[in-house]
Amino acid sequence: MSDKKKYVITSITLGFIAASSAALIAVTNLVTRDKIRESEQQRIVKGIQSIFTECESFKENELVNSYKYVMTAYRVVDKNDAELGYAFQTIGSNQYGKISLIVGYENAISTASFKGVYVVVDEQTYASTLEDNYISQLPDILEDVNCGATYGAKLVREMIKEAGKAAEDIWN
Amino acid sequence: MAKEKGKTKANLLKGIINENPLLVSILGTCPALATTKTVEAALGMGLLFTIVLICSNILVSLLRKLIPEEVKTPAYIVIIATFVTMVKMFTNAFLPELYSTLGVFISLIVVNCIVLGRAEAYASKNKVFDSFIDALGMGIGYTLAIILMAFFRELLGTGAFTFGKIFTFIPLTKVQIIPKGYEISLFQNPAGAFIVFSIILAVIAFIKNRKAELVAYNEKQEKIRKLQEAKAQAAKVEGGNK
Repeated sequence: MSDKKKYVITSITLGFIAASSAALIAVTNLVTRDKIRESEQQRIVKGIQSIFTECESFKENELVNSYKYVMTAYRVVDKNDAELGYAFQTIGSNQYGKISLIVGYENAISTASFKGVYVVVDEQTYASTLEDNYISQLPDILEDVNCGATYGAKLVREMIKEAGKAAEDIWN
Repeated sequence: MAKEKGKTKANLLKGIINENPLLVSILGTCPALATTKTVEAALGMGLLFTIVLICSNILVSLLRKLIPEEVKTPAYIVIIATFVTMVKMFTNAFLPELYSTLGVFISLIVVNCIVLGRAEAYASKNKVFDSFIDALGMGIGYTLAIILMAFFRELLGTGAFTFGKIFTFIPLTKVQIIPKGYEISLFQNPAGAFIVFSIILAVIAFIKNRKAELVAYNEKQEKIRKLQEAKAQAAKVEGGNK
């Protein structure tokens, strides 16, 4: 086979493989996109309910300012429509990957009081270390300045603190 | 027909026993150590791995005469990466607990040497059905091997087996084997994973060596018996001649 013909066949074959791959991934995305969104929404609901155990419903609230990590605020109420607090969906990433958390704060008169955190998505390469080594020890470990031992701990701390600031901005 | 069936059976079984990718070839050890904290997670990992292996082997075998030799490795990697991406999306959509448990190790199936190795060593040189059987055997072998590791890690590390946390269509069941307080949490850590893996490999090496010793012993005995028979025969002939 001549060189020219060989290069043409190689290019066509590789082009076909690349195009087929792209098509397969696009079709899979179409099929699964809504389900993924739905399951993320379900995790958000599960997160809010795990932080605010008396939660009856929650409603999306407008944020007072724009923030680096805080994306959405949810006002959480109980069955008597009394405010239990706010749940904030925070999204951040570091060199190890992306983390999405639900951070709960309740109104403690003059300040926002940390209620809890729920991990929605943790795509870090060392995701398995976060829950046991850091999340489970909150809020005691929140002021620990030497928390770099667990991957993602610093990012999580910043996300939680920013959510607290967002809560105070809403209540003040 | 019978010969074909025998060949297929041998092809399937080799991946499970004689050429087990994890326990014999020692390949794919990274996910094996990382995803074997629980039997359920190991089963999930094994299933996803098997699906990717089967799909990539079939496609590589279908395209084996079209992919030029010079670009076969990048072509195989594109094929494998496509299936891994599809599997990742389906897992995220339909098995979100498995997706969050396995995390980055689903994506790492792309660089799992077993998948690329079987594509290059077998699928690129054999027909589609044979490649499918090879992938099925290797996948089952790998899954069984990581379940074996997970069995010991979960039993010794937590004292119990929990099902239904990842595959949420199963009712949540916890079976306590070792009383609480007597579990060794080391086995849930990476160090424990290495310990379990090395013990399993040591046991397999012991069994293999014993088998080899037995075969050598039997061969030696057979040689001695034949020699004695020959001597007896020679003595009989000599006696007859006298």
